[in-house]
Amino acid sequence: MSFSETDVQNALKNLIDPNTKKDFVSGKSVKNVKISGSDVALDIQLGYPAKSVWDEIRSMVETHLKAALPGVGKVSVSVSSKVVPHAVQRGVKLVEGVKNIIAVASGKGGVGKSTTAVNLALALAAEGARVGVLDADIYGPSQPTMLGISGQPKSVDGKSLEPMMNHGLQAMSIGFMIDGEDTPMVWRGPMVTQALDQLLHQTRWDNLDYLVVDLPPGTGDIQLSLAQKVPVTGAVIVTTPQDIALMDARKGLKMFEKVGIKIVGIVENMSTHICSKCGHEEHIFGAGGGAKMCADYNVEFLGSLPLDIRIREQTDSGNPTVAADPDGSIARVYKQIARRIAVKVAEMAQDHSAAFPKIVVQNT
Amino acid sequence: MSEQPTEIKLHQQSRLLEITFSDDVCYKLPFEYLRVYSPSADVSGHGPGQEVLQIGKRNVGITELVPVGSYALQINFDDGHDTGLYTWEYLYKLGKNQAELWQDYLDRLAAAGASREPLPGSKK
Repeated sequence: MSFSETDVQNALKNLIDPNTKKDFVSGKSVKNVKISGSDVALDIQLGYPAKSVWDEIRSMVETHLKAALPGVGKVSVSVSSKVVPHAVQRGVKLVEGVKNIIAVASGKGGVGKSTTAVNLALALAAEGARVGVLDADIYGPSQPTMLGISGQPKSVDGKSLEPMMNHGLQAMSIGFMIDGEDTPMVWRGPMVTQALDQLLHQTRWDNLDYLVVDLPPGTGDIQLSLAQKVPVTGAVIVTTPQDIALMDARKGLKMFEKVGIKIVGIVENMSTHICSKCGHEEHIFGAGGGAKMCADYNVEFLGSLPLDIRIREQTDSGNPTVAADPDGSIARVYKQIARRIAVKVAEMAQDHSAAFPKIVVQNT
Repeated sequence: MSEQPTEIKLHQQSRLLEITFSDDVCYKLPFEYLRVYSPSADVSGHGPGQEVLQIGKRNVGITELVPVGSYALQINFDDGHDTGLYTWEYLYKLGKNQAELWQDYLDRLAAAGASREPLPGSKK
């Protein structure tokens, strides 16, 4: 019994990818369909990194085809991931070596942006992507501590900086360049934006699929610079469930809307506290705040993380949760959120409808 | 969400900025009109009543169009003015209300006894 490629495509139109929530054909993931006799071979190329679930997807597709194509012989599927660069507007300087930029912001301070940013970066890397972290908090850089990196970045050509490395991530922070942990950056706005520009453009990022930018709290100079000078693919907003944090998170979200940066979704941090002694779970900062904000603004709720002493201990020691305990329950949540972010980023990268218009200069 | 432009054409000879928006509307905005209605705080001030009347801009030219993020256009004029960030929303408004806004400018110019002609010896 032989089949045509159309039969295979039709069969796969009925199989939904659990990560994208779309079928594999609409998601443009089906490639290289080869039919020889009654044997079928094809490649599934996911637009997002998903190394930890490739096997799961492979067996899901193989099982589905065996059931959908009666009398089929051997079915061999190979799964891989290819991250697509963000369609960037003409004229805006592409950051060399970076395919997609994901900003992690909040509005409010102390909600866990840096912790979330670093763990999401590690989660994306664990799924097979090449990831970098840009610490955009010039006044209070946290990434050197969280990634356990010390020392100063080197320069091979006297003009650019080599990113620092640890846990498989490339990183850059003003923290690498100041002597002494307690040296404050007592700078006015223009110097800060200049510093951010240099950290971003003068670092020799090496072929990154994603650059995660850890923003400082607020809606000021640094956020504006990022929005105006750099092609940000999307922003993730981190908040805690309490009203005070949500009020600021809403401002952060509105700011991104004003400057035309898409919101990938909202992460609710410190959703519950689980007592390390008796296991009692409590919504100490309130419940449902993140979900309500998502409903109000029609953005996606990416996930929630607990207030857990381990998360804090691990980042303080320079070994964040996803690196320290990659198979633990908390790392699993980070990885789920990271996969969802990658899927949305892939969709945004392919969506040209909001790309910057063509500019033509004529002597007419 | 405001309209997004799909194409921007700068006509250097006729001094018109032609913008086509996603709702298929197309506006042709004269350079002088854009210049005197620049959203820069230098021109619009920081609130109503603080506007600075721009005069002598009849022959102003545009030297460069710089994209700002994905939400605005920075227009660099040949008289040195380059601090106006024209958002799509603002450009759409300028296009839609061109007749009234331009007349309003001409009225204010007359009230101030000023002219569109470039001042002698000025940087245009």
